[in-house]
Amino acid sequence: MINLCTDIGYHSLNKFGEQLCGDHVDVVEQEGDGNSVIVVLADGMGSGVKASILSTLTSKIISTMMAQSMSIEECVATIASTLPVCSVRGVAYSTFTIIKVTNNYEAEIIQYDNPHVIMLRDGKYFDMEETSTKIGDKIIYKSKVYVREGDTFIAMSDGAIHAGVGKSLNFGWQRENIIEFMEMMYDSEFTAKTLSTILLDECNRLYENEPGDDTTVCTVKIRQRESVNLMIGPPASPNDVNKMMSLFFSKSGKHIVCGGTTSTLAAEFLGKEVKTNLMYIDPEIPPTATIEGVDLVTEGVITINKVLTYAQSYLADNQYYTHWDYKKDGASLISKMLFEEATDINFYVGRAVNPAHQNPNLPINFSIKMRLVDELCECLKKMGKRIKVSYF
Amino acid sequence: MTINVCVGSSCHLRGSYKIIELMTEALKKNGLEDKVELSAAFCLGKCTHGVSIKVDDEVICGVSPENFNEIFDKYVLKK
Repeated sequence: MINLCTDIGYHSLNKFGEQLCGDHVDVVEQEGDGNSVIVVLADGMGSGVKASILSTLTSKIISTMMAQSMSIEECVATIASTLPVCSVRGVAYSTFTIIKVTNNYEAEIIQYDNPHVIMLRDGKYFDMEETSTKIGDKIIYKSKVYVREGDTFIAMSDGAIHAGVGKSLNFGWQRENIIEFMEMMYDSEFTAKTLSTILLDECNRLYENEPGDDTTVCTVKIRQRESVNLMIGPPASPNDVNKMMSLFFSKSGKHIVCGGTTSTLAAEFLGKEVKTNLMYIDPEIPPTATIEGVDLVTEGVITINKVLTYAQSYLADNQYYTHWDYKKDGASLISKMLFEEATDINFYVGRAVNPAHQNPNLPINFSIKMRLVDELCECLKKMGKRIKVSYF
Repeated sequence: MTINVCVGSSCHLRGSYKIIELMTEALKKNGLEDKVELSAAFCLGKCTHGVSIKVDDEVICGVSPENFNEIFDKYVLKK
């Protein structure tokens, strides 16, 4: 299972009028004899500050304790004795869902009072066997499955199944409706984050943009590792051109070359020609080019700047998804490759200063270029990608 | 005849998009679409003086919508 990895993506809608979300998702990676990832989605009772505190505490406590290999019984006992008691209702209460994937081989799902996790295998609903245990007065459901590539686990807070109650639907939409909807929307290329936002958008639509409860969807998807290499800028010293190019092209995976001068150098190295497309698909983004042996050739700074905008949106509400997933301009194509296809990204950054960019009238200069790369790497790390940057 | 319009970062910011539009129109108007091959280029190495275009082997810098007709006359129509 060495080539598989877990892709995790989640997002929340706040209850209409609330600034804080009462649901919380926490992700912990545990390394030891086996690699495991623990994802906890907690939904605090009520809404606003109180719910937010309850859910944050719950998810943090569980993820931290599970990462130390403590049993679920101990976690539940700790939560019960730690959570502040609600003054109105006289109980301390937060529901939770735990998904633990070990070695990308085995998934363990533990759930308490949240809508049950929906598992999709090859895009179709897969019924997981559940066993129930009683811990204190709480009934906890556990399941265990051996995962395969493409397996998708969708966890949600009850805001998801209540969507539309009393508005567009009488009884909300039940778990069965969500299963049907997700089976219909599923595409093997979609990332965990995209699947989560697709479901959330539908919930928001049913709520008529005024969610009656905090709604969170967290998707965990088992996928193949995939590397993408991106080169931007010529090396500071012209003597390093060959070194940089041979390191870059010797890497497995896809290759993206950004920048006019950089692509000329890459073409020379490969003994091929740069063919620039005349077509502007998006007037804001310079056209792409082709070099035989390179998967994608684009302009540099302006294109990367747009990719950064898309990356920031992807981490937030993903609202530009429809732009970059379908359009064919340089920035959209890079975004698709980095956000969706790649799990491991190697950056090859050349530090040559382009004299033309030092013109004070232009909004691009050397320090901006370096900062763009840094910020983009930060965003990609937050997406859970493994990033390696080499400077030349 | 081959004309390349630079679409590198600097030229792009100075309006390559507009120049390509003007060029396509001008070629059509003069019925030269079959005689002239129009394409883009990634950086002609004259970044400080964009927008740059290359007509056959000659690089012309500082093309703008204002001087476009003049340049088109001088470098394209006269040849």
